[in-house]
Amino acid sequence: MLEIAQYDGRNRLRGSIYLAIAMSLLAGIVIWIYPSFSESFDDVDEAFLQAYPDEVIQLFDIQTMATLEGFLAFELYIFGWTILLGLYLAYLGAGTIADDIERGRIDILLSMPVSRSQTVVEKFLALAVPIVVVNVVTPVVVYASAELVGESLSIGDIVAVHALSIPYLFACAGIGLLASVVVDRTSIAQRIALGVTFGLFMLESLLVDTDYEAVGAIAPMRYYDPNAILLESSYDLGDVGVLIGMTLLLVAVSVVWFKRRDV
Amino acid sequence: MAAIELEGLTKTYGDVQAARDISFTVESGEVFGYLGPNGAGKTTTLRMLLGLLSPTAGEARVLGADITDERALIGAKRQIGYLPDDPQFDKSATGREILEFHADIKGDERSDELLELFDPPLERPIRAYSHGNVRKLGLVTTFMHDPELVILDEPTGGLDPLMKQRFAEFVRGERERGHTLFFSSHILGEVRRLCDRVGIIRSGELVTVDPVDALLNRSGKVVRLATVDPIPRTTFERDLEGVHDLAAGAGVRTRASPRGEPADDSTAAEDRKQRGDATDDGVYREYTFTFTGHVDDLLAAVSDVELVDLTIEEAPLESIFLRYYGGDDNA
Repeated sequence: MLEIAQYDGRNRLRGSIYLAIAMSLLAGIVIWIYPSFSESFDDVDEAFLQAYPDEVIQLFDIQTMATLEGFLAFELYIFGWTILLGLYLAYLGAGTIADDIERGRIDILLSMPVSRSQTVVEKFLALAVPIVVVNVVTPVVVYASAELVGESLSIGDIVAVHALSIPYLFACAGIGLLASVVVDRTSIAQRIALGVTFGLFMLESLLVDTDYEAVGAIAPMRYYDPNAILLESSYDLGDVGVLIGMTLLLVAVSVVWFKRRDV
Repeated sequence: MAAIELEGLTKTYGDVQAARDISFTVESGEVFGYLGPNGAGKTTTLRMLLGLLSPTAGEARVLGADITDERALIGAKRQIGYLPDDPQFDKSATGREILEFHADIKGDERSDELLELFDPPLERPIRAYSHGNVRKLGLVTTFMHDPELVILDEPTGGLDPLMKQRFAEFVRGERERGHTLFFSSHILGEVRRLCDRVGIIRSGELVTVDPVDALLNRSGKVVRLATVDPIPRTTFERDLEGVHDLAAGAGVRTRASPRGEPADDSTAAEDRKQRGDATDDGVYREYTFTFTGHVDDLLAAVSDVELVDLTIEEAPLESIFLRYYGGDDNA
């Protein structure tokens, strides 16, 4: 067991390190510009929240930019984690099975004594490598950078905002995985995964405070709230449970689908 | 126990029947060739046997496992090796990493011995492999867990002649060790050299399953004979049974083709007249024909004749093939 996950995971290690470096750079830049940003305005929120259209404020769930926590929540976590990394994991997930099918590697893989469910689950598990690496490296950089610019952040909140992003990113990867078993051309699976993930983000953001807010409940983004974690130190484990449930459901549907199809 | 059993196995894609009602059995310990042109349905059949495609109708068992029962099939796959017609490996991995991955899953009984035989460049990434090297690595991964049953789809495509030779020797060795090989091919000579029995598939349908010998016997032997003095055409045409496609020639130069076009067209007759080899009409010194009768009868028929040369050869498998495919545009 887990031979496929190990093999795939090893192959993902190098890319994951590059990903962690890129996200750390983003974090470093955001924190580095924060002091000059905050000094440029007498009242950041007054100036900024009025300058941005309400739709943008709502879309990115901007709460405050007057503190480094609020600034980070928007610039790094809503933008970098919820959107960029969410899309990237959906994209990676979409490349798992579909790429093996499209490139004809699935024949040799499935001719070995491995079950189809094992194949799907283990390829999904290998996505833990980028998810974990990026969430181990970046918080260290975030904390150290904040110290360097003379701001202090709560270690607990930083750890939490990264730890709680892990089930969120797995759920996004699950969207990609499902696309990957349904479609057998990688590029189409990837486009579907990106489209659905971004669509869910828009759905959740734009339907908040409308009569259709309940529809946003299907979006994983509803269950990962960097603002609440960083500004209020509020960690909702119920949300984590929902994300894990979503992930398990997506993986289960992917397994059932893959078992029934020709490759 | 039969190694592979197919009963009415069918695969349909919309209106297209890629494999139609295919039934045959591959016995344990035999080398079975699955012969047909490209697009006949060979790969579809093989991929159904491995559970990659689900059959539309019919059933099949490999090493006793129902191919639609995933759990049973996985059990059987521990003793199955499979090489697809266009094997693909992770391009960024090296050959060695691929072997380690396969060894982790299937075990490794004999990769050292196989590497000596087929010798792919293990330290290089697959990206830098030629087709032939990918195939060699594929042969190693296919046989490394020493499977009882090996299913190969066009196994020698991309191999150079030396490797083909090695592969042929290797296959004979596997048969001697009692292993079962089932391989598809569109190359007649390969099947003839390696196989005990042959199934011929055409446009998704199984045409025949026969021992290679029987196929050859049924298609007869090619007889070529030259005499010192001209003998009458009736010696063979009328007095001997089992003569087909009789062609007669003057002697020095025969115009008979293997398909047996009679040589007495006007130009040939002209040649004969000029050289005076043919004394009368219907009397010649050289004959070529396909013979399905008894060799004893043939020898008796020419026992009084002084021979310059006599050869009796197996008909080329090509001519057997032509019987099944002849005149078909799909062939």
